[in-house]
Amino acid sequence: MNAVKMTLIATILALILVTVTASADDVYISGFLQGLYGGGLHDDNPVPSDLTASETRLQMKLESYRGSAEFFGRLDFYYDGYNESEYDWELREGYIKFRMGAFDFKIGRQVLTWGTGDLIFINDNFAKDYQSFFIGRDDQYLKAPQDALRAAWYSPLGALDVVWTPKFTPNRVPTGLRLSYYNPLVGDIVGGEQFYMEGREPETEFKNSELSARLKRYFGTADIALYFYKGFYKNPEGMDMATMEAYYPELFVYGASMRMPIFEGIFWVEGGYSDSRDDPDGDITTIPNSEIAGLAGFERQVANNLTANIQYQAIYMVDYDKFEENVGGQTEVDEVYHLLTSRITQLLRMETVVLSGFVFYSPSQEDVYFRFSADYKYNDALTLTLGGNIFDGTEKWTDFGTFMKNDNLYFKATYGF
Amino acid sequence: MNTFKKLTLVMTALVMILAVDLFADDVASDLMKKAHLNMFYAEDDGLAEVNMSIVNSSGKERIREFAMLRLDNEEGGEQKYYTYFRKPHDVARLTFMVHKNPVDTDQRWLYVPAVDLVKRISADDKGSSFVGSDFSYEDVSGRHWSEDNHKIVEEKEYNGKQVYVIESVPKAEDGIFGKKHTYIDKETMLPIREEYYDDKGELERIFTAEKIEVIEDVPTVTVRKMENVQKEQHTIVEFSSIDYNVGVDNDIFTERFLKNPPRKYIK
Repeated sequence: MNAVKMTLIATILALILVTVTASADDVYISGFLQGLYGGGLHDDNPVPSDLTASETRLQMKLESYRGSAEFFGRLDFYYDGYNESEYDWELREGYIKFRMGAFDFKIGRQVLTWGTGDLIFINDNFAKDYQSFFIGRDDQYLKAPQDALRAAWYSPLGALDVVWTPKFTPNRVPTGLRLSYYNPLVGDIVGGEQFYMEGREPETEFKNSELSARLKRYFGTADIALYFYKGFYKNPEGMDMATMEAYYPELFVYGASMRMPIFEGIFWVEGGYSDSRDDPDGDITTIPNSEIAGLAGFERQVANNLTANIQYQAIYMVDYDKFEENVGGQTEVDEVYHLLTSRITQLLRMETVVLSGFVFYSPSQEDVYFRFSADYKYNDALTLTLGGNIFDGTEKWTDFGTFMKNDNLYFKATYGF
Repeated sequence: MNTFKKLTLVMTALVMILAVDLFADDVASDLMKKAHLNMFYAEDDGLAEVNMSIVNSSGKERIREFAMLRLDNEEGGEQKYYTYFRKPHDVARLTFMVHKNPVDTDQRWLYVPAVDLVKRISADDKGSSFVGSDFSYEDVSGRHWSEDNHKIVEEKEYNGKQVYVIESVPKAEDGIFGKKHTYIDKETMLPIREEYYDDKGELERIFTAEKIEVIEDVPTVTVRKMENVQKEQHTIVEFSSIDYNVGVDNDIFTERFLKNPPRKYIK
């Protein structure tokens, strides 16, 4: 983006800010300034630079209320030394929220989350930003914003949430520019401009819009939910052999979850059936097969200011026989995928120091992803963070093995206002 | 005197001692109940802005600001809390909800708007610090009087007020304190000082009611201080914009409003 454009946008935004501030009684502005710097730990990572992050970010939040209506905007301006454009901005959230009787509406750019898993998702098919997640940006950046209409109906049956996303919003995944990944066509971990991979998105048409629904209610202390998703795989997991392009195959998901307090902790369980619509019988090799996934987890406080959880996930490939047949009977992919995760959070010195570790370990794919961070809150405004992301695996093609060259350490300073 | 008579006499004496002791305990327990209800169950519901100042041993101050909404479903029993955080920036707009159940486990929810996440939190940490302050979760909503055995140890004058001093010892060891001395003001029947002793009998924390104001005819402790004498740090909590009997609906304490703060009460 050139400087003129940037100035123009900044001026318009400043004008909006001034106008809104002048016209409303209850307008609140807040935000933070943040520097994030990270470096890779492998010299042989085939990416253009060994810096994983070098950015300065200014986030502005603006909120205002009228009656039960709420207006909220969250705007990021950043200098990303990594990108060629360098200066850029992104509207992270910008929505209007209001209530009409038993209905709540939230319209505009928003982040969306549901389901019970801790950093593992079955029925949450909202856009995620794994690239941000892997390089040390704040947790809030794991969720990529979506332009959507959300309606909630608080009915006697339970709370029915319907989210309509007119334009398909994919996940943001490593593309080879900043983080390398395993490319099956090359048979190795690749990175760099020539391997920049972008999936072909479905055409922007009404029939290609995403629809997510959830019906949730409490039975005693347990919250139980049913889910439905109509859309596409959020990662470009399909391969169009005619054009040799990666694309997002059609996907429906049906699922359910339950969460309740038990044994002085919280227990959760979730399941779902992913219906691969472009490959209903599992006979197309270049499109993922349908799957049945389940997860269960338990979290409790193990000591004062020390919380730990453990999760187990299993994914069963529905047409494994066909898959095996298609790949010529020889495959390292198992019929059932297993994953174990654990999170430990320790608060120290009156919560001014937060130590956190999260590990993903798959015994079936023999790979691991470990993320850790130490936060030091110097005062209410300034937080210093040191963290890292470590990937390893015996094979390069597995979920975490694919990122094994991307181990990184980062430092972050955040000043809030 | 024959053996039978002796035995009867001893038994009677024992029963009488026991009865007196039980009666004394009853009185102490009753006073603690009254103080607890006045402190934590004032009127049917309440709304307040809270400013928390946490000062560590080197004098460095940190601030927590939040709005708090409370509804009593049953006097001394089930109670609901809704907290909307304003400051500092890293917790701003977060909402926190507690369904308090004195006879069962509490239920807790946290909503993180930046990621639209509704998280259920385990509630087995009554002794854990509340948002990094010297107040524990239990101190915020009060420790139920039935959890301890109480006895009156003294009646005296404290800070120009006539007080009962009550000693409380947990019925079941829970690691929160070994014993506690509560000073109950005879006039307002509010706890105006509490001394918490650790398991070794050493004084650990001192709570003091720094300011009492009459709000809507209700004597209310509007400035509360908790000092940790062992760690040489303290927290001062100031309540302002207090309003009682605002008529808050039970529905406010559900996920719907956890995600959409009730702007009628919380601006």
